[in-house]
Amino acid sequence: MAVRMGFVIITSRCIDCDACMVACRAENDVPLERTRNWVKSSGVQGQFPLVKEVFQPGNCMHCQHPPCVSVCPTGASQKRPDGIVIVENSKCIGCKYCIVSCPYNARFANPETGKADKCTFCLQRLEQGLGPACVQTCLGKSRQAGDLNDPNSVVSKLIAKYPTRQLLKQVGTGPNIYYIDVAVPEIPEGK
Amino acid sequence: MEFTWGLMIVIYLFTAGLSAGAMVTSNLALLYGGQEFERVSRIGAYISPFPISLGLGVLLLDLGSPFNFYRLFLTLQVRSPMSYGSWAILLFTTLSVIYLYLWLPEKFQILGHSKSSEKWKRGLAKFMPFLSVGVASYTGLLLNAAVRPLWNAPLLPVLFLVSALSTGIASVILIATLSPWQRARHRELHVLTKADAALIILEGLLILIIIIMGRLHSASEAMAFGNLLYGHYAGIFWLLIVGLGLLLPFSLELLELKDKIPVRWALTVTISSSFLVLVGGFFVRYIITYAGQMSGWF
Repeated sequence: MAVRMGFVIITSRCIDCDACMVACRAENDVPLERTRNWVKSSGVQGQFPLVKEVFQPGNCMHCQHPPCVSVCPTGASQKRPDGIVIVENSKCIGCKYCIVSCPYNARFANPETGKADKCTFCLQRLEQGLGPACVQTCLGKSRQAGDLNDPNSVVSKLIAKYPTRQLLKQVGTGPNIYYIDVAVPEIPEGK
Repeated sequence: MEFTWGLMIVIYLFTAGLSAGAMVTSNLALLYGGQEFERVSRIGAYISPFPISLGLGVLLLDLGSPFNFYRLFLTLQVRSPMSYGSWAILLFTTLSVIYLYLWLPEKFQILGHSKSSEKWKRGLAKFMPFLSVGVASYTGLLLNAAVRPLWNAPLLPVLFLVSALSTGIASVILIATLSPWQRARHRELHVLTKADAALIILEGLLILIIIIMGRLHSASEAMAFGNLLYGHYAGIFWLLIVGLGLLLPFSLELLELKDKIPVRWALTVTISSSFLVLVGGFFVRYIITYAGQMSGWF
């Protein structure tokens, strides 16, 4: 089966340290005031004393049917055969159509290059056999990445074992980040 | 909040529609109006290339990599409305300049004038309405393709088309009334005003249907349209679009059609009603562009 790169994010393991955002910025020279990934807070839920707050990290969902790719007028926005959605800078004219079309607001206009910018799955690291910077740095092991079609990958094992949800599934984009909200005591071994 | 698409895009959406509307007005006046409508047709032809050229200028300035714009014309991405739209407006703008040239008085046609000019003019007048409808409505498809609750309305292209025709006619009425020479006569204006009034009714109905459909569709869309009805954009929506853009010019046009306007006020009323239609048309684009970006799914 074809490779389908994606993430599994375990919200119960996220402590909102924002190390993923720092690591991404350091790895990819993301301009200040902009970010390719994020940690969102649910706010305080419930009534005292039974209160909780859930942190939901995120980044480009590397969708199965990415609207940012279909709207791109020059073919700069592409979905690679392995499922990773990228922008080919030399073709990008900076029309920002992809940015407004992303329901996850995962893209931004890079003020230095004038082009659309987004999560690249740390392609430069994947080529060296490493995982994305945000995944490597995550101290709670909340972020996991890999081939969703490979049953031996960490992400597939997690999805098989725990209930998952995707964001805005009803919009039809087919997002490739799977969220797990329940407690995950141990991360399985795998690729 | 920060808006990715700002005023430049609004100006472009407005001017493209205006040009397309003026072009259709000119074409139909030539084909079906006969001698009597020559002035209307000429004014439409004189207007048409300019708003869209301005719009293309600001569109270029809005690009993050303006020097890369030629990339648009190295490819045709059939799934991207912006891609086929770019080709359509390139063709439209070029042809509208040629059409204007053919309408110039003979002594200004310095690049040559022949007996076949008239034939060319009529030929273009038959083709341009189709291209104009494309240019006016693709902007709706453009927003449809971006996955936002407010932009999801399937009737958006139709609304933009009707608004384009309405503003196009209004611009012809405005210039025809303002122009110091060859002022359009009463009868021509009467027909244009009638057409414009009908389009205003249609536009009002479309807005109503779009809002009702949106409100009933999903919670995200209901909230997006709520933003127009009673939220952040309610002031612009009710005052500038419904009030000043639709109801007031419609009432004025109705009075004009029934000859209820005293002669000494006639000019002022004609000018203000057509100007208000343009204002309304602009803010329709404005509100949809801005409120659309504000809206998200949940």
